[in-house]
Amino acid sequence: MNKILPFAFLGAAGMIFPYSVQLIFLQTPIEQQMGTVQKIFYFHVPLAWIMMLLAVVCGVAAGIQLRRDSKRAEAISIAAAELVLVTGLGVLITGPIWGHATWGKPWTWDARQVSTGLLWLVFAAYVLVRHYGAAGSERLAAGLAIFGAIDVPVIYYAVKIWKTTHPSTDVAGSLPSSMWAALWPALIALLLTSLALLMIRVRQEMTDVALDEAWIGLEHDAASPNLAAATGDA
Amino acid sequence: MRDATLTLSGARRGPRATTNLGMVALRQAWLLAVNDLRQEARDLELVLTASFFTLVVLIMLGMSFSALGVSAQPLAVPGMLWLSVAFVGALTLSRIFNREREFDTLRAMLVAPVERVSIYLAKAFVTLVILLGCCCITVPGLALLFPAAQPFAERPLETVALVVMGCTAYAGVGTLFAAGLASSSGKNVLLSVILYPLTMPSLLFALVATRSLLEGHASFTTYLGQLTATNVLAFVVGAWLFEPVLVGVPQQRSARRASRRRR
Amino acid sequence: MAAPDEVQTPANDDYEPVEGLDQQTVQCVRACESEAAAKTASDYEHIVWAYGVIWSLFVIYGVFLWRRASRQSNEIEDLQRRLAGS
Repeated sequence: MNKILPFAFLGAAGMIFPYSVQLIFLQTPIEQQMGTVQKIFYFHVPLAWIMMLLAVVCGVAAGIQLRRDSKRAEAISIAAAELVLVTGLGVLITGPIWGHATWGKPWTWDARQVSTGLLWLVFAAYVLVRHYGAAGSERLAAGLAIFGAIDVPVIYYAVKIWKTTHPSTDVAGSLPSSMWAALWPALIALLLTSLALLMIRVRQEMTDVALDEAWIGLEHDAASPNLAAATGDA
Repeated sequence: MRDATLTLSGARRGPRATTNLGMVALRQAWLLAVNDLRQEARDLELVLTASFFTLVVLIMLGMSFSALGVSAQPLAVPGMLWLSVAFVGALTLSRIFNREREFDTLRAMLVAPVERVSIYLAKAFVTLVILLGCCCITVPGLALLFPAAQPFAERPLETVALVVMGCTAYAGVGTLFAAGLASSSGKNVLLSVILYPLTMPSLLFALVATRSLLEGHASFTTYLGQLTATNVLAFVVGAWLFEPVLVGVPQQRSARRASRRRR
Repeated sequence: MAAPDEVQTPANDDYEPVEGLDQQTVQCVRACESEAAAKTASDYEHIVWAYGVIWSLFVIYGVFLWRRASRQSNEIEDLQRRLAGS
């Protein structure tokens, strides 16, 4: 069941995506102020939400990892951090593309741009520490993830007062309902995709841990109890 | 460190100690910090290297930006101040746990009957002292080099408050991760990787506050208050995470797994 | 877009211009049209880039995961062989 679910999610996302695209391009009116290019919004904004969500998931999972020494929580926080990098990169690239079309400048040091960039840096640091840190650094990385998740609002607020003259980006909120209606399918498609990738990555991490234990058990000769779990997972 | 732990274990058994845990932690932190500072006073390694580094950074900043127009200076000087704090802070933090790493005394401290929070507070305090010492070079130096930095000299009280608050945030976040890296073997490169993204928000607050100080805005106190709030947040989270980050799963298992994964 | 207004005030009575078809208006409309077309084309270019970037990032991550998975299954086979041998 657990094995099929990610692929079911991916398949569902694959079906929703064309529907959402035709909804966005054929059914939704063109936004008055920005014109056609505003259609980037329908994928850019949900992606940013998903990034925030994953950052919080990573922080919470890291907290559980520290509290209970749970391997599953650790795997979830690694997977979530990697997906923060992926989705964050998407947000950070589509944002300037949108900005280039509407403001004429890809990077305006807008508060949202900068705070997203900073958040991305925190999670890039997390992945770097996980990858290159010595033994025992997984707890350090967990601390980093928790700090990062707590930092989300602080970063946003700090950047906002640093850049008090940011161009108005308050697109959301003043949208007609038809535009909101086009947003949800896109959000669901992206969410399902990220969720599927998250689950696959978590599974891999768990398999990795089991494999490591199995090898260690093998090196210590005799059969290890984790061995069956490791080979069964494949 | 040895004499300190002895006194501390004595202090903990006292009748007053059992009544108020918070006071005990603070007292222990104070004792640990004094001990660290006493050791530092013996050879001055950290203070001298850090202040020399500050001087070098200051001279580099002066040479790079001496041609800057007066109108641009109020925008540039805050950046110079906090960038130099960030650089010196990374240097200090990577050194501050070196002594512990060389003799593996951090583990000894962790098994000693000391509140873990005290270790965190003591180390953060020592870092703060050294950072403030460096700021004693940076701030007057900037005021000398750049006319726009004159308000530092004209409003000393505000400047001191600002510098203390900015450095506190940095020390609070930095100590946690420096300690974590010290207990795992080496890899100090990672410190700056972690430190800069995480301290960026507090440095931004400090930057904005400095700018409003230089421009003589009334909003300075508001920004200082916000900076203080981030300090409190940084210290609460740092103190809360210190123990779980430093003391966790049995070292052996994770060490073996890490060494295997590298193959 | 002031041109149509000017046209609507006729200069003399015996000549009634066809609304919107004088040279000035036509040129103005053409200019607007070509500008709008250019804007839309550039917008679509931006959109294609943005959508392409998002989905290719996911695809790249998927490939990364797939490579990891194949490495893992190799390792598991290795382990099984070692176990069978011992």
